[in-house]
Amino acid sequence: MSNEVIVMKNISKQFKVLNRHEGLKGSIQDLFSRDYKIIKAVDDVSLTVNKGEIIGYLGPNGAGKSTTIKIMTGVLEPSAGEIFVDGRMPYKDRTANSENIGVVFGQRSQLWWNLPLIESFNLLRNIYLVPEKDYRNMLELYRSLVDLEPILHKPVRQMSLGQRTLSDILAAFLHNPGIVFLDEPTIGLDVSMKARIRELIRGLNEVKGTTVILTTHDMGDVDALCKRIIIIDKGRKIYDNDIEHLKSYFGSYRTLRMRLGDDSWVEQVIDEKKTDVMHVMQEMQKEHKIKDIQLQEISTEEVIRKIYEGGESA
Amino acid sequence: MTGLKKKTALTRAGIIESLQFRLSTAVMLFANLIYLALVYFLWKAIYDSSGVDVVNGMTFYDTMIYLILATAIFNLLEMFIVWDMSRAIQSGEIIMHLLKPMRYRLYTFWSYSGAHVNNFFLSFVPTFIVVVVITKGAIPIGINLLYFMVSLLLALIVNFNIEMLVAPVCLYTQSTWGINIVKETVVLLLSGASIPLAFFPEGLRQAVEYLPFRAVYDIPLTVLLAKNGTDSLSGLLPKLGIQLFWCVLLSVCGNLFWNHAVKKITVNGG
Ligand SMILES: Nc1ncnc2c1ncn2[C@@H]1O[C@H](COP(=O)(O)OP(=O)(O)OP(=O)(O)O)[C@@H](O)[C@H]1O
Ligand SMILES: [Mg+2]
Repeated sequence: MSNEVIVMKNISKQFKVLNRHEGLKGSIQDLFSRDYKIIKAVDDVSLTVNKGEIIGYLGPNGAGKSTTIKIMTGVLEPSAGEIFVDGRMPYKDRTANSENIGVVFGQRSQLWWNLPLIESFNLLRNIYLVPEKDYRNMLELYRSLVDLEPILHKPVRQMSLGQRTLSDILAAFLHNPGIVFLDEPTIGLDVSMKARIRELIRGLNEVKGTTVILTTHDMGDVDALCKRIIIIDKGRKIYDNDIEHLKSYFGSYRTLRMRLGDDSWVEQVIDEKKTDVMHVMQEMQKEHKIKDIQLQEISTEEVIRKIYEGGESA
Repeated sequence: MTGLKKKTALTRAGIIESLQFRLSTAVMLFANLIYLALVYFLWKAIYDSSGVDVVNGMTFYDTMIYLILATAIFNLLEMFIVWDMSRAIQSGEIIMHLLKPMRYRLYTFWSYSGAHVNNFFLSFVPTFIVVVVITKGAIPIGINLLYFMVSLLLALIVNFNIEMLVAPVCLYTQSTWGINIVKETVVLLLSGASIPLAFFPEGLRQAVEYLPFRAVYDIPLTVLLAKNGTDSLSGLLPKLGIQLFWCVLLSVCGNLFWNHAVKKITVNGG
């Protein structure tokens, strides 16, 4: 029981939005309109998260990922269902909950725009009441994982997007929270910064045992970090299991590449539930000479794309 | 006191942050000069046309001292909570404030405190010294300064609470600009910041007695200038009592209103 840091039971979140009309006349109508529409951003989602996990929380745009994270952090109240984060109801106990979580929301920053990063850290250390020694240790750990020097004395407003994102992630882990929520933390980063940030998240998870909930549209993040993934679509949970499982769950796809007599490569995606590799090769051999073959596992990216596109699910 | 550490850390950061805007202090002083020149000529005209030296118990000299110090307090207390909050709500940045491990109102108050400290030392104290030197003895220097500090602190809390009562209105309407103008005008007029309360018509003056705005300018200035017997405890305590009363009442109301308003964010998603 104590191993479960987040428990969500049948959580739903609905937004009531005005049905807006077009044009000037429409806008004036809207002033008096009572014509509301209900959006089900999260629809009856249950899940549990165990201590120390890194979970990839995936889904197409508008699926309800950010909404779920806002519910978990306590800035949104669920419309129905129960949620416990470390035994607390986050929306009722937001301030207490905040002490034990770290949050990065992609394009927002929690840092002080005009302060050098080190001053922001200093301030965070004080408002989260981090003991001096723990703070020093954390900075040491950061130094061992990334090159801090170029950013530490820069005001946040002078940072590049990648530097700021890096800073925000470091800030989220600074008070050594039990759980860190990362909502699209790698958006807009170059490949090397992405790699560094992944390494950092993995390192902190390993060293500190931090539970991480990560939403992203970059399957590279998922492959690099997550053992378990949860997928939601239109507010409903459609998958919750190991990443390995995913590939077989939605059809065990592999790509067969064959080099033919004229040295050209042909590719075929094979669903092993329907047919098998040997069969395809035999068929091919009836007409062509095959000089070489390669067999590739399908990438997470392709599987996810099939799922988002409502492709063949099991 | 663990809570104190969080607060002083916010004050310290606020001081560092506002020190970076060196230019804005200069601009503020310049704007004050223009404003005070205007005030000077306006009141000069009023006194000249009245034909007497003492109007409503105040000489021209008294009035000028009062208004200069009122301006200095205005600069000290000025907060932009209405703007800042509405911007934070529109951009969604407010979420990051709500996720700090401190109650939002407390967090906001202490976030501004550093700017107040700066304004006190960089703007109020120099202005005060200049006025003292120029007027040579018009302002009593004694225990009243200590009393004034207490009164000023209470004024600051009352002012903060007024701001925090007005700012969340932007969650219900979009017209931040209008709200802010109304607040600014009402506070400056009814607090005695732009016209000393002594000049108010009798009916309005009595009405203003029962409003909180007086606690922001009129009371601290009265205490500073040691008027109305406020240099003795028996004269002082009732005044501080009024300020304290408004601190408590407004902060209770502000709390209730904020708890209601914040639901707009946590329930409707902003
Ligand atoms: N405050 C709000 N008011 C009304 N509707 C909202 C609000 N916030 C989110 N929604 C709606 O809820 C749905 C889920 O939004 P959410 O931001 O959770 O999606 P997401 O999975 O994070 O998408 P993305 O990958 O694009 O970030 C969307 O249809 C969105 O329009
Ligand atoms: Mg999102």
